[in-house]
Amino acid sequence: MPRGAEIVLACLLGEGVDLAFGYPGGAIMPLYDALEGSGIRHILTRHEQGAVFAAEGYARATGKVGVAIATSGPGATNLVTGIADAKMDSVPLVTITGQVRSPLLGTDAFQETDIFGLTLSLTKWSRLVRSIEEIPAAIAEGFYWARSGRPGPVVIDITTDALKANMEFAGPAKYQPAPQAVDAYGGEKFPAAVIALLETAKRPVALVGAGVKLAGATRPLRELLDRLRIPTMATVHGLGAVPAEAPYYLGMVGMHGTRAANLALDESDLLLVFGARLDDRVTGEPTRFAPHARIVHFEIDPSQLDRARTCDLPVVGDLADTIPAFLDALGRVALPDWKGWKAVAEGPERAETDPRGLAQPTVRLLDELYRRLPQDSVVVADVGQHQMWAAQRYRASSPRGFITSGGLGAMGFALPAAIGVQLAKPDTTVLSISGDGGFQMNIQELATVQRLGLPIKMVIIDNKYLGMVRQWQQLFYKRNYAETDLSDNPDFVAISQAYRIHAERLGEDAMREIPLGGEAGGLLDGFLASREPELLVFDCHPEANVYPMVPAGAALSEMVFEE
Amino acid sequence: MQVFGIRYRNTQGTLMRILNAVSRRGIELPYVQATPAEHSHTVTLLLEVGPKQMGQLCRDWQAIVDVTEVRVGGRLSVMAKPAPSWTPAYPPVSAGGSVEAARTASA
Repeated sequence: MPRGAEIVLACLLGEGVDLAFGYPGGAIMPLYDALEGSGIRHILTRHEQGAVFAAEGYARATGKVGVAIATSGPGATNLVTGIADAKMDSVPLVTITGQVRSPLLGTDAFQETDIFGLTLSLTKWSRLVRSIEEIPAAIAEGFYWARSGRPGPVVIDITTDALKANMEFAGPAKYQPAPQAVDAYGGEKFPAAVIALLETAKRPVALVGAGVKLAGATRPLRELLDRLRIPTMATVHGLGAVPAEAPYYLGMVGMHGTRAANLALDESDLLLVFGARLDDRVTGEPTRFAPHARIVHFEIDPSQLDRARTCDLPVVGDLADTIPAFLDALGRVALPDWKGWKAVAEGPERAETDPRGLAQPTVRLLDELYRRLPQDSVVVADVGQHQMWAAQRYRASSPRGFITSGGLGAMGFALPAAIGVQLAKPDTTVLSISGDGGFQMNIQELATVQRLGLPIKMVIIDNKYLGMVRQWQQLFYKRNYAETDLSDNPDFVAISQAYRIHAERLGEDAMREIPLGGEAGGLLDGFLASREPELLVFDCHPEANVYPMVPAGAALSEMVFEE
Repeated sequence: MQVFGIRYRNTQGTLMRILNAVSRRGIELPYVQATPAEHSHTVTLLLEVGPKQMGQLCRDWQAIVDVTEVRVGGRLSVMAKPAPSWTPAYPPVSAGGSVEAARTASA
């Protein structure tokens, strides 16, 4: 009779899992003992947070469920940031944690934490498994909820005695949810209502978020936008869903969005939202968001409606259904041409004027890198100034091509997430972009990169500060740079070499040359062409800032462009 | 004050998720009663919330996997029942010790 650990692995295989990320420890040892020959490839990271971010990277790049494994106590708590990140960004994730023996539950046993209780507000579903008999059903149900509807994180916490016990096992379970009444907010008549709003709108715009990609609705959305041809903008997670070359595309919206996108949204009288949560980084001050607009919100998760502002027409459902339904209904309806509005919103006077000052060399570096990337590349950005520069300059139209920790803003995300992406897409160029602060939060994963020989292209934008915090200190705290100075950073090139990974440093002067000098160009060419892991450390000016910027509490129209 | 009635399958953590949706917003929970109801359970909450919070809470509750029904308003009779008298079982009081001393020790 198989042990509980073997049943867990068989159930994972039954869910289509062939890759898991993790870190062993006491309570999860039975699972690791059964791993060899199970058919599941396990990637040992050097920290549980690395494992969960790598699982997220894998999930974000593929749309499949990412799996992270850890032991009880500190192993489990080290997963928590990744679980929160997956919740915020709707990432399908299953974490499996070992737990102390069931008789010891609640006794503050060695390495016991109540990970089930700790993560109740962060998970979509979770289960504390106390006996071997519960394992098949728990895994089946966990995977169902992780990938269904709006995807999200699941925690399955299994006691050691359940993993060690034996029982007859007929095969993985299937989960069929109990039927549940769903409020049809949009109803079948929603297309006519949206069309009626469009027919009377003078200044319509469309806002595209991650939900479109998660639903696999990028193609019908593009068809719809080509039909509507109204000014369109994307959230950071919506980047790539709309081709940057589309004449109606105005770029990223929000705190560091483009002038054209933010102004158009602020002036609009009809806002069509496709799969975006409308969080405060997108809306600016929520009470002043799109002040003149009626809002039509296409959304799969009703709990995301009305967070910023009450929407006038919620269209609740899978965007893979609702967008095509709307497109069909639009048919040959004669829409206004909105010529005057488009001339204003898309006009040259709102185009970027590149007033980036001290950030110009860094922006140039990103442009030069992006220009050299194959179309299907994946960019994984960490959190901070470099993240916003990377998002602002991103021009590719690959739906899963730009990955970042958007909702939670978890520093240290990029390097381990890039590991997951590269493992999911071994033939794809993966460019990881970090700041010097964030890179050090999971720097130990260089060992994982080296061990696996993953050809990830890692860039550190090194301004020797916690740059985004410093920028806020400069602008809103009278340059009181409290505890953001990282001028005593280690030598990243030497550290990388200690991990046996080739590294180079590039000064910002090289990015001031027009055209780009042969030496710098050659370095970038070689960096991206290598089939080995590579690290590039770029010296960024310490006081370079990200602009435009919508200050906290301001409306989107109140962008600042310099100090 | 607004009364909410939420019907749910009494699976692990579902009641806590329902309560978390309230506590994460910093809303006080002056009255909570959870009871078995037919094949499921019902929790009745009395909350001081505005219309916008009410809508958000209802949607958050509906998004919880094992919540089957959310109702606003309803019977207040359950709250009219006096609380049964009870003897505190915690903190344990050592022989000769006072309840107050035990509380202090466990603080």
